[in-house]
Amino acid sequence: MLVPPVSHDARLIDELFRVVYVLSFIVFIIVEGLIIYAVIKFRRRRADEMPEQVHGNTAAEIGWTVVPALAVGVVFGFSVDTLNRMTARGSPTAPLAHVHSLNDTEARRRIEEAKQVDLVIEVVGRQWVWQYTYPDGKLTTNETLVVPAGKTIRLDLTTPDVIHAWWMPAFGPMIYVNPGEVSYVWFNVPPGEYIGQCNVFCGVAHAQMISKVRALPQDEYERWYQEQLAALSGPTATGDPQRGQDIFMNQNICWSCHSIEGTKAQGKVAPRTLTGFANYDTIAEVVPNTADNLRAWLHDPQAIKPGTTMPNLNLSAQDIEDLVAYLQTLK
Amino acid sequence: MASVSIPARTEYLRHGLVSWLATVDHKRIGIMYLASTFVFFLLSGLMALVIRLQLTAPGLQIVNQDLYNQLFTMHGTGMIFLFTIPCLVGFANYFLPLQIGARDVAFPRLNALSLWLLIFAGVVMEGGFLLGILGLLPGGASNAAWTAYVPLSNKQFSPQIGMDIWLLGVVLLGISSTLGAVNFLVTAYTMRAQGMTIWRIPMFVWAMIVTAAMVLIATPVLTAALAMLIADRNFATQFFNTANARLWQHMFWFYSHPAVYIMILPAMGIVSEILPVFARKPLFGLKAVVVSTILIGVLGFTTWVHHMFVSGVDPIVERFFMLTTMIIAVPTGVKMFNWLFTMLGGSLNLKTPLLMCLGFLSTFVIGGLTGVIQALIPLDMQLHNTYWVVAHFHYVLFGGSVFGIFAGFYYWLPKITGRLLDDKLGKLHFALMWVGFNLTFFPMHFLGLMGMPRRIATYTADRGWELGNLIATIGAFMVAVSVLIFMVNFVRSLRHGARAGNDPWEGNTLEWTVTSPPPEHNFDTLPTVESERPARDLRLAASNPTVPAH
Repeated sequence: MLVPPVSHDARLIDELFRVVYVLSFIVFIIVEGLIIYAVIKFRRRRADEMPEQVHGNTAAEIGWTVVPALAVGVVFGFSVDTLNRMTARGSPTAPLAHVHSLNDTEARRRIEEAKQVDLVIEVVGRQWVWQYTYPDGKLTTNETLVVPAGKTIRLDLTTPDVIHAWWMPAFGPMIYVNPGEVSYVWFNVPPGEYIGQCNVFCGVAHAQMISKVRALPQDEYERWYQEQLAALSGPTATGDPQRGQDIFMNQNICWSCHSIEGTKAQGKVAPRTLTGFANYDTIAEVVPNTADNLRAWLHDPQAIKPGTTMPNLNLSAQDIEDLVAYLQTLK
Repeated sequence: MASVSIPARTEYLRHGLVSWLATVDHKRIGIMYLASTFVFFLLSGLMALVIRLQLTAPGLQIVNQDLYNQLFTMHGTGMIFLFTIPCLVGFANYFLPLQIGARDVAFPRLNALSLWLLIFAGVVMEGGFLLGILGLLPGGASNAAWTAYVPLSNKQFSPQIGMDIWLLGVVLLGISSTLGAVNFLVTAYTMRAQGMTIWRIPMFVWAMIVTAAMVLIATPVLTAALAMLIADRNFATQFFNTANARLWQHMFWFYSHPAVYIMILPAMGIVSEILPVFARKPLFGLKAVVVSTILIGVLGFTTWVHHMFVSGVDPIVERFFMLTTMIIAVPTGVKMFNWLFTMLGGSLNLKTPLLMCLGFLSTFVIGGLTGVIQALIPLDMQLHNTYWVVAHFHYVLFGGSVFGIFAGFYYWLPKITGRLLDDKLGKLHFALMWVGFNLTFFPMHFLGLMGMPRRIATYTADRGWELGNLIATIGAFMVAVSVLIFMVNFVRSLRHGARAGNDPWEGNTLEWTVTSPPPEHNFDTLPTVESERPARDLRLAASNPTVPAH
């Protein structure tokens, strides 16, 4: 594998890949070698030459039936053995469902009992963002999952819309997230930054459904988590909401794409209404709805969500401050 | 010996547009199959070039993401349903009756219906696509990939009428394909020349028999699934509601995995025809090749679940389907070695048809091996839906089927037009296409191993995918140039090509015993067959009456 494996399962996959790669390469050399040999040795030299009319050779044919069949058997054995040792599917004596229906409480119980895990993250894959909710439910991050390194993490994945697939190439196994079901991923990885993305075509912005995992040492993770909680109740905007409203409705063209109930803004371009914006968890379903994130978003939307239809309006710092103040009044 | 009188009333239909519209002659229908599917090939090829341009470098926006999604949806649909499958049917239309010594197919009018359903469906789908990208359909054309997984393809997530047009098109193609399969099976079963016992049936006919049987079993399942999805979208039925997302995956792949064999077996049949002729040797282990073809057809129905390995399958079931998927490599390997040993010890006539077969053998083996690798569940967990898969199935369907189709063109077009294609241009076509193909698709293995998912409209510069994509785009344009050379060669041959005569290649099968192009009724007297190489028997008997023919 060209992405260095960092998890137990990814290393198993890597080992199996090396074995079958070597076997395949041998077959490849034999076949291409015979083609080249035939073309060089047996090309027609005289127009009237007539080769011996050989119709077949039973022993040889049995040979190239039985040998590949045995090879298939051996590779099958290796694969089943690898599969049995993978965290993703449980042990051979207690196979573990990696996907089950949302209301299958029995399967859920088996999974909770079978695996001792240090951290469980609720993951929602939606068009077109991965959202990670941490155990006490207070904190949700988008796109980037931060976990303690060297701990066993379980992801419980669901989707409210179409099929997605969660995959970190460095971790190995990918898994579909089908509607109406819950899917599971287990991993335990060293510190580092990892990147992957949705791996089932899920609509227009499928290419932007990126997923990142940042694995931090336990103490750094704790610090990060506390900082995030603090940021949620962090400082709000200092601008003038009245002037912000004026920019939104008159000085600029925000109103033409966005809608806010009871105002002249009735645009249909933006996917979500801004009515009640202050209560939203996220900005553009990508980043947590904090004042800082909103400033960054208004400064350059593409930097936050590539491919968004919202253009960069080249707003001044004061305009941004006032707009943030206005938008935070929309409750 | 039976003889057929041509009804006088068809005389006025011999020439002009009306004669083509009204014909039930399998050869004319075959020509229209080949011509129309080639147009669809060019359209899907152009879409592929736009796709490749977009991916040349990170962050390009040559087309917007929605248009990109429509492009790859129609590229895949067109290449599979409008080109590879029906183009091979076109060869079968023209040559299956000739090869078995019949005057037409069993149901000529049904045959015409299959053709016109195909053309109508093609116009509906390509027309819907064109209207969609021109902005004349609200919401655009179908953009849910050729797999059209629910719920992405349902009314909620794909409200546009373009999706319904696409679904209707595929339904029509399913009907066309099923009717054609009935026709070929009945024709091959009932209309073979006297003496054509099962071990004397030509390899291409064998391939079509197995293919037709597969179509008959698999295609109605897809057609039913499509009809159910149309009902879900328009009549509020609940066949594929959210709790049933995987039902669609099973029904879709129950057809669409066997469809791979529906696309590769006839191409293998063409290779099995050409290699013995161009090596001046009988096919090595003919019975093993036939049995392997049948086995691939049967085992082809025991693989579809491998598409759901990462979607959720019972642990016992998934191991079963891993094994059955891997086992297909055995009969495929048998054929590979039989082809190689047909060439070894032969007298190889290195003309373009043989070169295209060598293109098939040298690239298909890679597609076969990567197929086994992907069948292993642990590796599938890592490779599923990545560019590795794109590389794999293009090595099977382009490296295999498309090289086989072009081998068929160089081998059989002289029979159809009466003129040989230029061999130098043919070799240039082959060389450019082989190199371009490998430049396009070989780097995709590495892109997949580096984690690049398929069906993404763009990518960022931090993933290390630039070089592979750049090389792939360059290769794609080499393939495009090679196809242009083929078209020039073909048009040139119609006027300036050397006369083919009845039998330019020292053929083995009955089509080489009649004129090029063959008379409307094919055979003045229906032939009698005494070996698996009847044309060779006649040729040898004519040149030296005292030597036993086989």
